[in-house]
Amino acid sequence: MEIYRYPHFPTHLSVVHVALFTNVSNSAALRSRIVKAATLAAPEGDIEREAINYAFIDARLITSMLHLQTAIYQAILFDSQKSLRTRTVHSEILWCLNPTNNISEAIRRYGVSDTSSALFVVRITSPDLVDVESGMKCVVEGNIVPQNTLQELTDWSSIKKYYKLNVEPAVKEAAGDDVRERAIIDNIVVSSVAMKSV
Amino acid sequence: MSLKPSTSRTLLENSTLVSQGAEAKVYKAYLHQASVSGTDDDGGPVPVLLKYRFQKQYRHPSLDTSLTRSRIAGEARALIKCLRSGVNVPGIRMVDAASGVLAIEWIEGKSLRHLFPGGAEDDDVSEDIAESADEEDEEEDLLTGFYVSRDLLMTKVGNEIAKMHLADVIHGDLTTSNMMLRQGSKDLVLIDFGLAYMSTLVEDKAVDLYVLERAFSSTHPDSEPLFSSVLEAYRVKMGKQWTAIGKRLDDVRLRGRKRSMVG
Repeated sequence: MEIYRYPHFPTHLSVVHVALFTNVSNSAALRSRIVKAATLAAPEGDIEREAINYAFIDARLITSMLHLQTAIYQAILFDSQKSLRTRTVHSEILWCLNPTNNISEAIRRYGVSDTSSALFVVRITSPDLVDVESGMKCVVEGNIVPQNTLQELTDWSSIKKYYKLNVEPAVKEAAGDDVRERAIIDNIVVSSVAMKSV
Repeated sequence: MSLKPSTSRTLLENSTLVSQGAEAKVYKAYLHQASVSGTDDDGGPVPVLLKYRFQKQYRHPSLDTSLTRSRIAGEARALIKCLRSGVNVPGIRMVDAASGVLAIEWIEGKSLRHLFPGGAEDDDVSEDIAESADEEDEEEDLLTGFYVSRDLLMTKVGNEIAKMHLADVIHGDLTTSNMMLRQGSKDLVLIDFGLAYMSTLVEDKAVDLYVLERAFSSTHPDSEPLFSSVLEAYRVKMGKQWTAIGKRLDDVRLRGRKRSMVG
């Protein structure tokens, strides 16, 4: 698990915890838990929503840690400027990752699905919150692995499809050279996430 | 009203000012730093270039806000279009249009302006060059340090501009200060798309080239053969579109500044 600090943001948004889980066995249950928690009334609803107050992101569609960090940063930025498009900063990360403006599409594509086997679990919070990792482990059944495992998980053809990169000169030109092609795709994807708001 | 960059401003305060132009201040900063455990397999924190378009006091505030926002949006859109079309430009790392801040990939290397010292320099480029060395030698040293010949460099320039124009992106401010040679990979990187816009017009592409031609001749004396190499590489990459652009360029040259309209 990694922790990133952004002291220039408001305190409650200044610490980011990121863990990569593989061999996730309860994705379907987790997804229905999320859907149900959205409709539950207070006070039990609040407790349940707080128990799963994380961003769950399908790791297959992440090209690099920079990709994920860029989406997280933009989400925090929008929350700090009170211009969130979705309900929470965590769901905003999913919006930032998706090329289009459609919120449900973003959640469907980049969020946890019934068949997700690798998930990034992200918590944006203040420096006070401790034991975040154990909180995550209560919710996700799987193994936390080092973040460089991401290289084995990325589904490059789905990414090319969602970002419509198969027709782009930059990608066509690098066809055949996987390393170069992926670096180019990563750069385009990171840049698209960063500039989505304009 | 925005442009009250409280969060981005704090980020700027902890960054190093790299230079200041009329439009923006440019900083070197670090966005994402891991502070705990984990394997450090990427070799340390990665810097970014922050471009902060500060408030212009001489403009009406509401005009300033909307102009800054549209400049940032224009720059970001031009950059992403170039990236998708395979033009060597910095990637975008963060956009905070409300505060006037754009973060792009940090390019380690030197600008072409720096690699080709001109005549009388009035900015700090000349201060970097050791006084003892002959100016001619300095130039060769800088380039051989990069292991790139001038011809090859001009070919790279022509190639990049052609790719950009093929994507219908007009740079708007093509000068040797806005081109960098990246250390290591020797890529020619086009930077500063603040005045860039999209256009399919032959006129706009011809003017873009003309601006570069004039920049070459005014900052680097005896550079006509250099610009010809640029045009040659441009012609090759452009293919069919060159005929129209080349003709237009001749027309544009005729009507440039300080040109006699006689005969």
